[in-house]
Amino acid sequence: MSTATLDTQTGSRLLANAAASKPRWERAVPVYGFPVVNRFFVALLAMTGLAFVLTGYRELAGLGPVSGMNDAYGWGIWKTFNVMVLTGLGSGAFAVGIAPWVFRRKRLHALMRMALLTSFLAYACGLLLLGIDAGRPWNFYWIVFPWKWNMHSPLAEVAICMSIYATIPLAIENIPPVLERLWYFDSRLRPGVEKFERRLHYFFPWIIAAAYLLPGMHQSSLGALMLLAGERVHPLWQSPWLPLLYLGAASFMSFGCVAGATMLCCVMWKRAMDMEILDEAARITAWLIFGWLGLRLLDIVFRGALGTAFHADRFAGVFWLETFLIAGGGWMLWRSLRTHKTQTMFLGYVLSSLGGMIYRFSPTTLAFRPNPESLYFPTTIEILVSFGFICMGVAGFLLVVKRFGILPAPLQEWHNMAAYFRFRRPYIRWTGYFEHGFFSDDELEREQQLELTDSD
Amino acid sequence: MAITRRELFVSIGKAGIPAAVALTVGAETLQAETIPIPSAAVGLLYDASICIGCKACVAACAEANDTPPDTRGDQLHQAPSDLNDLTRNVIKLYKPEDGSAFSYVKRQCMHCLDPACAAGCPFQALHKDPESGIVKWDSDKCIGCRYCTITCPYHVPRFQWMGFNPRVTKCELCSPRLEKGLQPGCTSVCPTGAVIFGPRTVLLSEAHSRIKKEPGRYYQGRVYGEKDNGGTQSLYLSRVAFEKLGLPELGPESVPARTLRWQRRLYQYFALPAVLYVSLVQVIRKSLKGHEQEAHEHEKETGLRAQL
Amino acid sequence: MSKHPTIAEHLQASGVSRRSFLQFCSVLMATAPVGMSLTGKTLHQMAATIGKTKRPSVIWLHFQDCTGCTETLLRTSAPDVAHLILDVISLDYHETLMAASGAQAEAALNSAISDNAGKYVLVVEGAIPTRDDGVYMQLAGRPAVQVVREVAAQSAAVIAIGSCASWGGVPSAEPNPTGAVGVNFVVSGKPIINLPGCPPNPYNLLAVVLEYVTMGKLPEMDELSRPKFAYDRVIHENCPRRAHFDAGRFALAFGDAGHRQGWCLYKLGCKGPVTHASCSTRHFNEIPGVWPIGIGAPCLGCTEKSVVWRMGTFETVPIHLATPPDTYPPIYSAVGGIKVGAAALVGAIAGAAGGATWVASQRFQSSQEAGAERLEVDRAHAETLKPSSASLPDKPRPDKPLPHKKES
Repeated sequence: MSTATLDTQTGSRLLANAAASKPRWERAVPVYGFPVVNRFFVALLAMTGLAFVLTGYRELAGLGPVSGMNDAYGWGIWKTFNVMVLTGLGSGAFAVGIAPWVFRRKRLHALMRMALLTSFLAYACGLLLLGIDAGRPWNFYWIVFPWKWNMHSPLAEVAICMSIYATIPLAIENIPPVLERLWYFDSRLRPGVEKFERRLHYFFPWIIAAAYLLPGMHQSSLGALMLLAGERVHPLWQSPWLPLLYLGAASFMSFGCVAGATMLCCVMWKRAMDMEILDEAARITAWLIFGWLGLRLLDIVFRGALGTAFHADRFAGVFWLETFLIAGGGWMLWRSLRTHKTQTMFLGYVLSSLGGMIYRFSPTTLAFRPNPESLYFPTTIEILVSFGFICMGVAGFLLVVKRFGILPAPLQEWHNMAAYFRFRRPYIRWTGYFEHGFFSDDELEREQQLELTDSD
Repeated sequence: MAITRRELFVSIGKAGIPAAVALTVGAETLQAETIPIPSAAVGLLYDASICIGCKACVAACAEANDTPPDTRGDQLHQAPSDLNDLTRNVIKLYKPEDGSAFSYVKRQCMHCLDPACAAGCPFQALHKDPESGIVKWDSDKCIGCRYCTITCPYHVPRFQWMGFNPRVTKCELCSPRLEKGLQPGCTSVCPTGAVIFGPRTVLLSEAHSRIKKEPGRYYQGRVYGEKDNGGTQSLYLSRVAFEKLGLPELGPESVPARTLRWQRRLYQYFALPAVLYVSLVQVIRKSLKGHEQEAHEHEKETGLRAQL
Repeated sequence: MSKHPTIAEHLQASGVSRRSFLQFCSVLMATAPVGMSLTGKTLHQMAATIGKTKRPSVIWLHFQDCTGCTETLLRTSAPDVAHLILDVISLDYHETLMAASGAQAEAALNSAISDNAGKYVLVVEGAIPTRDDGVYMQLAGRPAVQVVREVAAQSAAVIAIGSCASWGGVPSAEPNPTGAVGVNFVVSGKPIINLPGCPPNPYNLLAVVLEYVTMGKLPEMDELSRPKFAYDRVIHENCPRRAHFDAGRFALAFGDAGHRQGWCLYKLGCKGPVTHASCSTRHFNEIPGVWPIGIGAPCLGCTEKSVVWRMGTFETVPIHLATPPDTYPPIYSAVGGIKVGAAALVGAIAGAAGGATWVASQRFQSSQEAGAERLEVDRAHAETLKPSSASLPDKPRPDKPLPHKKES
């Protein structure tokens, strides 16, 4: 079907919406008109390449020469930032997913693909760095023997759960956009794709349920990791509620990441934003933030640690910084619901996510005091590797978002995209998403005509 | 459908009641659980008030374990400033600036009865020998995650930072020497008998008899490690406060028991996760049905293939 | 008196007091408290054992030497002792000490050999040249190699005294033009014991000789045939200045304050850590402190073939068995730090991220309207792009056949 033969009723509704500046996200549409390979992308790839080279050096020389980790601080930013913090940001598949699937906030289905993609990339980055950070990674094969696992160990739980989660439920949930593209790409593949999709949908409940159970388990176990450190974590953070607080932080951080990233992408690629959905997301996030802040405050008060928040040292400083960021972010989100200002909403997401990141980072590094004399700061190589793999994630995101249907958009956008691909250069046509994927005889001729006119 | 939350809680409740019962029963048994003492528990008794700080034990430890002496400090002397990847045993000096009583302290693995390092080790590379109670490191299982360096309350296991085949180093009570009927390296060279080796029960009674013989000589008249941290196999007697020597006051509960109690309960037999999983599947099934229906309607409206 | 009197008989005949003899025995005990079965007895037992033994016959040959080892035997602080030494052993041939020379000396050697054939102890002083058929050292016209082999053939045991006889010594220093080697290089088939040193302690020689003649065996030796009682430890292990080494107090130049205070000479090139010898416990001339390090001269390593005349005098040696120093680490040691470059990088990344976020957030204000506008524009544009359905030639594409669905 071409644009002109759209159902008149739906078409007029959609056009009315567009005209009334109240766009609705109806479909995930690939980002078109922006080339994948631009200077920014090349720079990202260069950083990734550098990170790989430095990783090779790390594998040969050991962890000491490349990192600032020492006997007092056994964990550096690879574990504490890329794994603990970034997978928290990347729990979108969990938090943003639970809202529509379990709590029936159906509008948020539009954000699902973004959430799944960001989660997958964040977990891929995190797991890669987990492997790089391990000193003796060749012994990871024990993961295949469950009877050798020490299930009392929070770290075993994290490593095993994260690996299973990223490779099975999360990966499988990211397959539908690929299948969709295959369906549009080649009609010969369609029967196979449809059969595969049916099989997949049959298992979906189990896969999706696992995709919520497993992150719930390991995001909270990430918090439990520092429980064993006992007194060495400053009392403002060390608490029996650490697993729950980590899980809560992951929730609002990931909302921030998904919704914030979606907003940013819409702005960058000039897409319309669906304020109904974004408002809903902001509302949920704000409630999560306030609930979390309340829980944290109660926890600190009941443990009698509130006094330490008023000492003049760096721990109190970090505590107030993260609290202000989270509270400020939550407040901005709440305000944006009233003022309908997307800038406020975006900044609200950014601030609260930043605060959440600092919160998850503190117990392992900023608030960790193994002995009074020691210090940890990452080395240049450590930072470059960490940053390089983040760049890899971003580059992967840019590539996928421009080739697959991930970013939500109004329906009109789909038709525009199809039109864009159909009537440009021939080689782009073959990667396009036209409605039936192939030319009819009329279209063949028209195309020929275009070519003849082009060559004149 | 607006009955989502209720549905969820109801379905959890249905499947969860038997599980909750199981958990409560399990929790009670966990609480009553005491830490087992190995049948042939051996250990060290270090009396800081007799130690003269000669450091023969430091040199002997390196020799007994076939480790080159750590000369990285000044390239001349074996002078490690702390335990590290080449040093399993170190003598430190506590010397307060106000001139009050000073003391040497010998630091090595405490061989806790409920070791936090073994509790945290993902693939049980650090494990406690069920008979002798010695906590050993198995290079075949270790993934080098360094969690043990973080969980140990005494900061004993040390990771080898240089090289591509790093190991985790800590005192293992010279098990190869013990098998040959020899004493551990440190106790075999101590000139004053400040550190002695033997079965834990014998060492405890020796320590108590020393305390009884000279009441007031030892700090609080107690043996560190008898009950501290759930009990350790390396026992300490000291004139000055244990905390000043770097031995933290941890209370009678072991670190894993105290901090992982809820973690252990919630994951007991994987009951709770399984229950949650089953109820989640139910909820999602219903959700999925509704979602698919809507998607098909949308498909008909727009003429474009549904995106599920 | 018989031709071969016991030591006790000879001493009595020479008028040496029992007191002197007992003193001599006690010095021997101090020389070798362990490693010899002779000194594993009480003093009186040892004196009795020695007294009963027949006075051992010793033939002393000199080759490429400086006679220093002989001097060390005689340079005792108390003259009685030197005499005593010569009373305990019967030095039947010694070129420096005997009166004879020339043909008489040759005859003395031959008679010494024949009189005590199979029973005398051969002491060799000096290295033996082997290059050019050994012409560089000849005794009565015969090369040293030949002489030593002949004399050793009829001896009971061979003692190579001094570094020269043990492994070649000074003559063997680069480029070793004479091919100087130690005794065990040219003699075989007899028990040989090396007493390296330049010179060695005389009591080591005495202890070895007496052990051999009283007990019938040489003391326990290491893999270089040196007696363990004197050469099993390096100087560094027993050095009186070791406390200064452990405390890190080093003399850095001759005559500086540290040197004057008797601090460790390691940094001046003392070879004590790699030199096996007994000098640090048994000093020379029976006076404590009379030995190289004791007078402030770093040890040269004169007993070791790989050290003396191979390493520089002031070259520092590696410590093979490092030991703890005299300092103590505190309860908590400082570890880790912040590097400026890394901090700058973090700052740069954080700044860039923050800046980018701020710039992005600024664009939000205008975006919302722009998005809806673009939709309109795109839709209109899409309409214009649709080509007219004018009649077109009915030809398939010539080169790239597009697979197409047949319109049903």
